[in-house]
Amino acid sequence: MQRRVIFNNKLLPYLLLAPQLAVTLVFFFWPAGQAVYMSVLQQDAFGQSVTFVGLDNFKEVLSDPDYRATLWRTIIFSSAVAIFALVPALLFAVMAERVVRGATFYRTVLVLPYAIAPAVAGVLWLFMFSPSIGIVAYGLKKLGVDWNPKLDGDDAMILVIIAAAWKQISYNFLFFLAGLQSIPKALLEAASIDGAGEWRKFRTIIFPLLSPTTFFLLVVNIVYAFFDTYGIIDTVTSGGPAKATEILVYKVYYDGVIALNLGSSAAQSVILMAIVIVLTAIQFRYVEKKVHY
Amino acid sequence: MISFKKALTALAVGSALATTGAVAQNKPIEIQMWMGLTGLGGETLTKYGEEFNKMQNEYKVTVSFKGQYPEQRAAAVAAFRAGNPPHIMQMFDAGSGDMMGARNAIVPVSDVFKRASIAFDPKDFIAPARGYYGVKDGSLLSMPFNVSTSVLFYNKDAFKKAGLDPNKPPATWPDLITAAKKIRSTNAANCGFTTTWLAWIQLEQFGARHNLSLGTQANGRGGVNSELNFASNPAFVKQVQTLVDMQKDKSFDYKGRSNDASASFQNGECAMITQSSGAMGGYVRDAKFDWGVAPLPYWPDAKGAPYATTVGGASLWVFNAPNRSAAEFRGVAKFLDYLRSTPVMIDWAKTTGFLPATNAAFDYLTREGYYAQNPRAAVAIGTLASGKQGEHTGGYRFGRWTEIRDFYHEEVEKALQGKQTAKEAIENAQKRGNAALRAFEKTAVASN
Repeated sequence: MQRRVIFNNKLLPYLLLAPQLAVTLVFFFWPAGQAVYMSVLQQDAFGQSVTFVGLDNFKEVLSDPDYRATLWRTIIFSSAVAIFALVPALLFAVMAERVVRGATFYRTVLVLPYAIAPAVAGVLWLFMFSPSIGIVAYGLKKLGVDWNPKLDGDDAMILVIIAAAWKQISYNFLFFLAGLQSIPKALLEAASIDGAGEWRKFRTIIFPLLSPTTFFLLVVNIVYAFFDTYGIIDTVTSGGPAKATEILVYKVYYDGVIALNLGSSAAQSVILMAIVIVLTAIQFRYVEKKVHY
Repeated sequence: MISFKKALTALAVGSALATTGAVAQNKPIEIQMWMGLTGLGGETLTKYGEEFNKMQNEYKVTVSFKGQYPEQRAAAVAAFRAGNPPHIMQMFDAGSGDMMGARNAIVPVSDVFKRASIAFDPKDFIAPARGYYGVKDGSLLSMPFNVSTSVLFYNKDAFKKAGLDPNKPPATWPDLITAAKKIRSTNAANCGFTTTWLAWIQLEQFGARHNLSLGTQANGRGGVNSELNFASNPAFVKQVQTLVDMQKDKSFDYKGRSNDASASFQNGECAMITQSSGAMGGYVRDAKFDWGVAPLPYWPDAKGAPYATTVGGASLWVFNAPNRSAAEFRGVAKFLDYLRSTPVMIDWAKTTGFLPATNAAFDYLTREGYYAQNPRAAVAIGTLASGKQGEHTGGYRFGRWTEIRDFYHEEVEKALQGKQTAKEAIENAQKRGNAALRAFEKTAVASN
């Protein structure tokens, strides 16, 4: 009697893959192909005059000092979001793991923000920090802080970083918690017997064993900061003041949808796609080698 | 085989019957209209669509909100490219240049009425709106609907607290600066003055008020080869410098782009605000203090000032599409005809605080004594229609103006942050604006 099930049908695997492939084709390859196609054209908003311009759109984008400033701003923004989303998440996870009473309650509350849509999260923070009506802004004013994200670019950047990181903490928290729970208790007990303190246990056992999770989250968080923060930025600052919070993905949106400069917008989205592909490849190629599985 | 043929015949007869049935039922023709208005204005416009549907059963108008003007415009452009744009689209003033640059995408409203054999005289519309949305031969490309202009709102309670005369609003910029400083020094409010719609008010309306040129070719109305030239006029630099200087002691406080600053007037934080006259309805309902309206301030040292302010708000554009039937265009004309009718225009002006777009409605309101009883509503129509007209008060027409407004916003924000001088701000805004105009010219010329 054969114990393993063998499918002789050559077609079946492809059929089973088909739905996923179809989704990928329709929602990724098709729009990506459109972007590449439109990036070599110059056209008016209504698509009535379309001319092939080769790589002109790319040349224009890459030689634009505004674009380079946006690139630099995106790097700062993404690193800050990743750090401020990962560190508190790890802290919360370690804390939540130690709680015995009401653990489910704490965990649920910590996960809640993840269920909130980016635009809604943006509006929440917008109201709290709004110079005219916000409760936090009111408190800051009482403390003598001249808080005005409508005018001060740094204030605006701080605000979108907080909002973007806050939303991602829950997601990171879940993964860290799962990671912590899979660390063998025997190792920690052995360390305790050897007289290791909490910090030493964390530094030498927990953190290294969490590294696959941390690495995975780093990749996910950077991709999140690059793309998914669009909704937050749009509702909180719309990229302003004076472009202080305009990151690459927001510029693609602004130039394409608001300014209706489709060629430039398409070229930027192709560049953005390339950046993320390269970034992810580098992370897997080099960073992953340093990770203990 | 026979049975198959029979079945086929039955099917054919059946579907033929179904078709005649549909014709006999006289299914109303669908007319889609997209708007960019929220709140009171949006609710009122939707109501007009429903009333029109009740009046007749040939057409069914659906008025839908597709986001604020810029988003709605993007949605309409995408729908046009997909071959199915809305029949009517409400487009704000700044988008007019883009629409005019895409002449094959639209049908001028004068033509829409002509095709439907409905009498339509552009002269029925108030002169400033007619000038703004019309072309040289006098015909109208789009139909003016919600017309507004820029005015100054001021908090009378804060004026009293500061020891200022609440019945004497500042008429000029020097007056306004003095009042704002007094409000700050007496701590009557946290900020003396703020502005909404930075580019629209401090660049476009400011230009009209002092009869200053924004660009060559009659402010872009003469052709798409127009070049911006406002930076060569020191008055625009002086205005930005005024804002920068006032920002230091919060006698002016910048509260963001578009309508963001409105909340800080409404909650009493800022004692004065330059704002669209269309905001009046909201303040009547929500402001919990005594307030007044005054014409937009001007610089008395400017030659001939004050001139009239110019038109803002939005107009209604009719899209063209390959699959549009003559019957649909007739329905569009009938609905537009309803919207411009005097009772609707009067209701619109009274409910929302926008200005009446037609002379008939304006005359009626004047005769009825509406403006005598509502002096606050009279201010806007006064500066727009009765003000002194000049070479540069009739509005402008530039492509990509939505984007160019943002260049102005960004550069002035940088000046307010102290990162550049007022002169650099104006020069950079013009330089970037001209680059956008040249790119627009390339595609606009190619499409003609």
